Amino acid sequence: MLALNCPSCGAIVNFQSKASVFAVCSFCKSTLIRQDINLRAIGKMAELQDDLTPFQVGTSGMYSNEKFELVGRLKVAYQDGFWSEWYALFGNGREAWLAEAQGFYGFCLPVPSWQPPELHSLGCGVELQIGNAGTFQVEDVHDVWCVYSEGELPLNAMEGRRSTSVDFSNAEGEMATIEYAGTQTRTFTGNYLDFDQFKFQNLRQIDGW
Amino acid sequence: MAGDPPSHAADRPPEHPTPRVKTFSCPSCGASVSVQYPGASLSAVCDSCHSVIDVTNSNYAILSTYARATGTYQPVIPLGTRGKLAGRTWEVIGFMVRRDNDYFWEEYLLFNPYYGYRWLVRADNHWSFVQMIKKKPRQTKRTSAIASLDGKNFRLFNRGTGEVVYVIGEFYWKVIVASTVEMEDYINPPLMLSREKSDNDIVWSVGTYTEPKVIQEAFKLDKVAHPRGVAPNQPSKDTNSWNSIKKQWLAFVVFLTLAQMFFAVTASNSKAASGTFSYTPNTKVSDLSSGKFTLVKSLANAKIQITSPVDNSWLWVSGDLVNNADGTTFPFEQTAEYYHGSDSDGAWTEGDQSCEQTISAVPGGDYYLNFDIESGDYKDTTPRSFTVTVWRDVPNFGNYFLCLFFLFFSAMIAWMKMRQVEVARWSNSDYSPYVSPS
Repeated sequence: MLALNCPSCGAIVNFQSKASVFAVCSFCKSTLIRQDINLRAIGKMAELQDDLTPFQVGTSGMYSNEKFELVGRLKVAYQDGFWSEWYALFGNGREAWLAEAQGFYGFCLPVPSWQPPELHSLGCGVELQIGNAGTFQVEDVHDVWCVYSEGELPLNAMEGRRSTSVDFSNAEGEMATIEYAGTQTRTFTGNYLDFDQFKFQNLRQIDGW
Repeated sequence: MAGDPPSHAADRPPEHPTPRVKTFSCPSCGASVSVQYPGASLSAVCDSCHSVIDVTNSNYAILSTYARATGTYQPVIPLGTRGKLAGRTWEVIGFMVRRDNDYFWEEYLLFNPYYGYRWLVRADNHWSFVQMIKKKPRQTKRTSAIASLDGKNFRLFNRGTGEVVYVIGEFYWKVIVASTVEMEDYINPPLMLSREKSDNDIVWSVGTYTEPKVIQEAFKLDKVAHPRGVAPNQPSKDTNSWNSIKKQWLAFVVFLTLAQMFFAVTASNSKAASGTFSYTPNTKVSDLSSGKFTLVKSLANAKIQITSPVDNSWLWVSGDLVNNADGTTFPFEQTAEYYHGSDSDGAWTEGDQSCEQTISAVPGGDYYLNFDIESGDYKDTTPRSFTVTVWRDVPNFGNYFLCLFFLFFSAMIAWMKMRQVEVARWSNSDYSPYVSPS
């Protein structure tokens, strides 16, 4: 764990993942870019008024009998709504993402060293072999923009960051997603699980529930 | 386990501001509109003018206005009511009425911030608890009437359309009144698998039939109306018992048949004694006796076979199989009769020159036969003879067929009861397996 000081307010900003290059100061909400051990403030994150996520930075859960902790989040909007992507770390530092949308919880792991096809080749229903994870079908394609981020993230999650997200599914109930952001792509595969299967701890308390 | 995640934040302030009910003025009529779950709900309906409003930002754009003059609908479970179903607490936050032509049904949107959304669907006063699924059921062919999920097959029950005709409350998507989706329902009671196809996507959901009294208790309703007819996914006792009887029946028939085959094959079927007796036709003879013979094995059946050259005549034999050691008797009585001739329908025959009787459970030991005979209808009274043969441990099919008969009979009754329910269920479907296409 790397503990740095927020250049804006001096509060301690923790980096649990070596891969994290971005953070939001939990104290002053400055958005920070990390280069090695230097932090540079590039702006401020607006407070999120309406949010009903059951999670918070520090929530932990289980996946395949392995404990993970949520260390950051990227909330995106698209034409018809929102979803959150929580950056999760296992004890050994391995990265994962927990996607949260309308009460569905998808847990996915990065697909390493695999080059996705050009975005324009992926329309609804197109079949694609993703790494050695099997064949998936394009479910939908959304243009999204970042509306909020918190904690630490392995990407620059400034408000307004734009990307295109392609979601896949297969008959086994597994999911995959490819994010196209400028020239960068990120690919993940995983599956949807019931809330209770994660055995979450340190959930956010929702008033009245 | 408790229905909701444990609360643990008493000693620690929440990191986020507590979500509060959001209230704004309806851009259409100016009435006050409240959103109970801002951030989760994307559209809300004005109670006063029924406009559907986009609540994702403070522009409050109107998504659709309430134009249809269909009157209002009163939800059976009021908005804001909480109830416990499937071990979790749910709050009713939205209500919509949908229709397919002139068939109307109600959908209640349930919400729990940890577990997401569920639906209660009320149709003909039958209730289903519905969850959207991400997993895609398999449809083997485009035109297939079967969809399968997690190894379960569901049969197509209905194809139609669903049009939103009335909404109140708030929803996690931007509701468009009068929007129509294509719907397909597949059933495997108590489950129903539904597919809704809009211009943008295909959504699958699984509904579980829920007894009205469960709904009544969960949401503390004063009363719930009595359901009409048989719901597509309503489980039936008769169908369930048929389904379980069907398997047990088959298993039992297979078992019985195998057992019967085993006993038939292993039966020694040996000849214990055979004797020939002469008689004068059309007379009565008493107290004939065979010589002593041995029946092997500790316990088995014995078959007594009479063969006689009866020809348009009869021979009656009656007596006992007698244990030589203790005098135990096993009575038997048989008639060998054989008639033939011809009439306007042609030649006919009746009876047999040989007849037999099997006596069950005869202990091993030395035995002899004591019997009387009588014969009749002989035209020619020249003395002749008949043969008595005793067989030990013969294959016996009588009990087997008797068992099969009763098994078949009980299965038949179960099947008829099942069929009655299923015919009623499928009477509302265009895809009934109980109606042959005409």
